Amino acid sequence: MLKILRKELKSFLKDRRAVMLTLLLPAILISVFSLAFGGSNNDDDIQKIPLLVCDQDNSKITKQTINDIDSVKMIDIIPCSFDSAIDLIKRGKRSSVLVLKKGFSDSVKEMKHLPWELQYDAAHIQEMGVLQSLLSRALYTSVGKIVSKNAIIKNIDTQFPSMDSVARNIIIAKATAGSESDNSKEDNGMQSIMKLNTVSVISAKTGNLGLVQAVAGTAVMMLLFSLTSMGGGLLDEKEQGTLKRLLYSPIHPAQILLGKMAASILVASVQLTFMFGFSSAVFHLHIADKILPLAILIFATAFACSGFGLLLATFAKSRQQLQSMSTLIILSMSVIGGSMVPTFIMPQWMQDISVVSINYWSIQGFYDILWRELPIAGTFLTKVGILLAIGTTFTLVAFRLFRKNVLALD
Amino acid sequence: MMIEVKNIQKSYGDIHAVKGISFTIKAGECYGLLGPNGAGKSTTINMLSTLFPPDSGEILINGLDVKKSAEEVKKILGVVPQEIALYSNFTAWENMLFWGGLHDIKKNKLHKKAEELLRLVGLSDRKNEKVKGYSGGMKRRINLACALLHSPKILLLDEPTVGVDPQSRNMIFELIEQLNQEGMTVIYTTHYMEEAERLCTRIGIIDSGTIVAQGTLDELKQQSGIKDVIVMQCNQQPDESAIAAKLNLEVKVTDHTIYIQTQNSKKDLTRCVIGCSEAGYEIQHIDIQKANLENVFLKMTGKQLRD
Repeated sequence: MLKILRKELKSFLKDRRAVMLTLLLPAILISVFSLAFGGSNNDDDIQKIPLLVCDQDNSKITKQTINDIDSVKMIDIIPCSFDSAIDLIKRGKRSSVLVLKKGFSDSVKEMKHLPWELQYDAAHIQEMGVLQSLLSRALYTSVGKIVSKNAIIKNIDTQFPSMDSVARNIIIAKATAGSESDNSKEDNGMQSIMKLNTVSVISAKTGNLGLVQAVAGTAVMMLLFSLTSMGGGLLDEKEQGTLKRLLYSPIHPAQILLGKMAASILVASVQLTFMFGFSSAVFHLHIADKILPLAILIFATAFACSGFGLLLATFAKSRQQLQSMSTLIILSMSVIGGSMVPTFIMPQWMQDISVVSINYWSIQGFYDILWRELPIAGTFLTKVGILLAIGTTFTLVAFRLFRKNVLALD
Repeated sequence: MMIEVKNIQKSYGDIHAVKGISFTIKAGECYGLLGPNGAGKSTTINMLSTLFPPDSGEILINGLDVKKSAEEVKKILGVVPQEIALYSNFTAWENMLFWGGLHDIKKNKLHKKAEELLRLVGLSDRKNEKVKGYSGGMKRRINLACALLHSPKILLLDEPTVGVDPQSRNMIFELIEQLNQEGMTVIYTTHYMEEAERLCTRIGIIDSGTIVAQGTLDELKQQSGIKDVIVMQCNQQPDESAIAAKLNLEVKVTDHTIYIQTQNSKKDLTRCVIGCSEAGYEIQHIDIQKANLENVFLKMTGKQLRD
């Protein structure tokens, strides 16, 4: 038995690819997943929620309010104009904007309902829950203090107009200190004044975000795997000699690659259509009135993924190399691109790099159609354009690598 | 000339695979490229088949330069690669339709031609079986048939009988002979002497990227100085010088046996027998040791063909 054990270990260690897949691949994936889910246990790695802030009042009170919000560990303030903020949210670049409207400081002084609102992308609903709670807490420590003080002064001045000024100041100071130490006791009046209005920038009319995420995320990831495997057929053809035989025939080498690309796009389109059809039939994913944008996005995704599959196949020297490489790249791309978990729960820097993945553009496109219900023109078409550009770039590089790596037959 | 190869060279990095090869092949000829593995046969075939151009030199096929008119050249070439280049998940029939289809042959014509070729290679009754279920010999036969669907003028065969059973080998030989007799020009690369001897009218001996000799088998024998040997066993010890003088051939005698070297044993056999009888020796046993390509190759390259 020991001899067999030794032989097995020796054989395993001689196979560098197997060692890499056993040790390195999980290590890389653990790193990518950990980062996606918010980093390590280190306190310094607390995941911050980026919040656009638009100060339309531009007063001392609003500045103080923004500073107080900025001191909250989990919020990362990004000053921004209103139009830019809405544009960024519509394009899926940012999830929310806090608007401090004109008259904010007057309302604080007059203890009227504060003109402030949180506008957000409905696709980030869970994130908004956390954000609302953090904002309310932050506001009670700053605006709440001022509002309380003003309320006390108003009460004293109304009920005891002839009170001695020294006594008045002592009472106000004590009452304000009391409200500071116990600001969790939120009276109803205060709550109504400070109530934060929330408005969805993109209306989520129908559907279930989780379902859209599950279908789109899984579909794109599976597509990448199946198309890479299909692209690997090129390496099989080289190994079996059929590629050489194709080159003996009166067809141009480019036609071989184009033919493979076309087949890949067709299969990918059928696969995606099937996945969405299946989700519609079994899980009631609402696609009936979205056929055209869905078809456009399916084609663009199929094109980009086919280009990716072909690129890897022309880059790899063998099937085995392709397999190791594609597992690593596709899983990493799927994590950062939002196939496995929505991008909005990732740290900001990971959300920023998620744009390098096909998954991101495709999934966001599916969000646009199935969740945000955006019109075809605009941000949706931009995503389609980016997917087509990715596909074109990958295909062009694949053509170059095909000449360099694959056609070098001997 | 159907094929003219003029001083072609091909290198892969530091490896000079082909170092200035030249030969010509007439229409309807069967030319053999004989050499060990790594001699440069496949590289030569790949250049002839337009797969990649020579680094220098020129190849004219039917008057067309393969560099400039690759597409035209491909239309008149049928290439049987060394590998079994078939889609194993397809049936023989599907493979034939696919490979033939690449030559834009009309459907009816292609079907007719595929049926005819399947009959010729003896696989009509198994045409609807997947190729992966075929024996090595059957795969080789389909491999050959797929190269003939567009009725090429020239057939390039790169070691088409590797790993083939005798029955399939014979069938392949018969088909090549038939095609050659019908006027198809054939280039056949092999490292089997007997194949080259059987099929080829002219042979080029290739070694380390150069053609060391070429011609008919007789011409090669002459060039190498290798001769046939007529061996006659007698009842008594013959006189070596007397026999040599009588026959005017190179003669050696050992142990009651006469060894006579001749360029053409068939022609000289009767004369040798009569000469020995007239000299008074009773011949008890006659044997002819024919000079073959193996001897020729050994003599010309100093190594065995299967080294």
